[in-house]
Amino acid sequence: MYGLEVNSVCKSFGTKRVVDKVSFRAAGGEILGFLGPNGAGKTTTIRMIMGIIAADKGEIEYFTDKGKQNGIPSESIGYLPEERGLYKEARVMKVLQFLAGLKNVPRSVARERALKWLDKFDLADYANAKVEELSKGMLQKVQFIASVLHRPKIIILDEPFSGLDPVSQDLFKAELRKLAGEGVALLLSSHQMNILEELCDKIFLIHQGKEVFNGTLEEIKEKYGNYRVNLTLNRPDEVEPLLTRSVVREYQKINDTRYLLSLNDGVFPGEFLSNIDRNMPLRELSISRCSLHDIFVRIALGGVDDE
Amino acid sequence: MMNKAWKIIQWEVMRNLRNKQFIIGLLITPLIILLFAGVPTLLQILDKPVIHKYLVADEIGILDSLIENIPVDNLILEGFGNEEEDIEAEVDARGYTGYLLLDSDFQSSGMIEIHYSERNLIGERILQSLLTGYLQQQRMQESGVDADQLDYLTASVELRMTPLEEAVVPETKEIIVSAVFLGLIFYLIFASGSMLMQSSLQEKRDRMAEIMLSSVRASQLMSGKIIGQFLLGMIQLVFWIVISVPALIYFLDFPIIQALAETNLLIIGLFGLFGYLLFSSMFVSMGATMEDLQSAGNSQGMVMIIPLISVLFLTPVITNPNGIISRFASIFPITSPFIMVLRNALTRVPTWEIALSIVLLVLSALFIIRLTGKIFRTGMLMYGKTATIGEIFRWLNYREE
Repeated sequence: MYGLEVNSVCKSFGTKRVVDKVSFRAAGGEILGFLGPNGAGKTTTIRMIMGIIAADKGEIEYFTDKGKQNGIPSESIGYLPEERGLYKEARVMKVLQFLAGLKNVPRSVARERALKWLDKFDLADYANAKVEELSKGMLQKVQFIASVLHRPKIIILDEPFSGLDPVSQDLFKAELRKLAGEGVALLLSSHQMNILEELCDKIFLIHQGKEVFNGTLEEIKEKYGNYRVNLTLNRPDEVEPLLTRSVVREYQKINDTRYLLSLNDGVFPGEFLSNIDRNMPLRELSISRCSLHDIFVRIALGGVDDE
Repeated sequence: MMNKAWKIIQWEVMRNLRNKQFIIGLLITPLIILLFAGVPTLLQILDKPVIHKYLVADEIGILDSLIENIPVDNLILEGFGNEEEDIEAEVDARGYTGYLLLDSDFQSSGMIEIHYSERNLIGERILQSLLTGYLQQQRMQESGVDADQLDYLTASVELRMTPLEEAVVPETKEIIVSAVFLGLIFYLIFASGSMLMQSSLQEKRDRMAEIMLSSVRASQLMSGKIIGQFLLGMIQLVFWIVISVPALIYFLDFPIIQALAETNLLIIGLFGLFGYLLFSSMFVSMGATMEDLQSAGNSQGMVMIIPLISVLFLTPVITNPNGIISRFASIFPITSPFIMVLRNALTRVPTWEIALSIVLLVLSALFIIRLTGKIFRTGMLMYGKTATIGEIFRWLNYREE
């Protein structure tokens, strides 16, 4: 089984500890969502995985088709960093061949594979174009191709969707699912929560260098995801008694007739409904789980204790 | 390990060889040098020396012997025979520089009055020396000294140069070749140095650093760049040498092949190579600390001038190649790549000094490469700002991979 295992990894810059005893596992065939607010330690963790910087403590294990690896199997890892570009004045095919060459892919093989990928992304006509002639979206696709051309068993993508139009996003999502289907381990860092929610099998949430959550999407929702209630009434003043009940953690008045309620942890829809007075002039009511977005915002703002 | 560095070298070289700027520089630079070397010569040819003519009223009959002994072409003396005419009017009318009278008083007074319309310092000095010769001869004859005695008395000393040992005195040819190589090493270090700085900057500007560093180690990337730029520099130099040597052999009467054979090219090569490694590693890592060329702070600027410290020692070394300053500068690693090459051409440097100097240079190069490697690694991953000196020093303490 491909994948990687991060065990109690720590990193400090000077006296500041940016990653503190972080452990998680990205298994083959799965997409692990790696998320956290800006400055949480995501990039540092990724850079440690990539061997760009060294961990102070802890270890990272890699599993490829050749079994457990000692050291970083750079030929088996694909990486799309957040700060990314390509040599502006170089030609697309040349850059792709050069980068694949650094992963020990022969030029002719790299060319053949690159043409297939370019074709898949509708970029076949740009194989010999200069990088500076590409639009931002095209560039992003070429960068993605560069990170998978050597057929890595572990792929790390940092904000792969930023700047992509919805059509291209769907194309990317399909390719990522396909790669996972082939047994590749994917680590996906993004702030686009809706996409993560759609794609990821597991979530690792980091905040201020520490693990906040590590588990499946269901588990994180179970743990942090309280319920949200969308409420519309005819006579808004009659909602007042409900808002002060202990089941409601906080509320937001959207307009004169509409309220958005956030229920307290552990309060399920049934309990909330039993608090509603039979004569309340309700027009509309919907109850749903918090989205990953809401959970993220809550954690980033310090709404939960770091473990 | 070497395989990846080699791929980066290839990439670096090919990327630049395809670059229009590089090709234009390769072709234009010799033309510029030719222009700068050729234009002064051309101007000299076009700018013929002004001819100064003097009218001489010669009452004592020495004009012909004076004219015979004039050592330059642009000083002309003409006799003025017509006593009736006003000599000054003649000078005015025909544009002479001036006139002088040679009469019998001159032999006793030793004074000649030159009436001039414009000063001509060189011509005046020549006239003075010619007339002094005549005057001395006249006065000696008056004193009863005959011609043979006169020659004997006024003979100048002839110096005959015989070296004690053949090699003590370096050949001029060797000095010239060493000076040319010194210039080439300087060029290589500065041209490649600024290219290296730009190469690091470009890697950051194009946001390639992180992608690269996920495939290769920072040390591979850095050494690939350094060697790549070295090869590019050598391609330039070899290209220029190949086109210029035949021209030099044709136009100059200088035995280039023989001079090369007599010069200690091994020493020049070693000092050039390790000097390059020392400075280029500084340049490439400084490039990594910058966000763009405009924001390059004083610290980065200072690094660019470190090789120039050698220039301070040029005069002391040329005037006193065995003095304490010369010996220090030829052993101190920052200046030794240039100064040892120069000093070795000017004098016989003891073997132990050369050995000590090269050992120190190699050790310093290795030490600096290690140090700058850390700066390079950290700098390449920093975006959005140029590092301060304090930050750069802090990076030196970071643990390595």
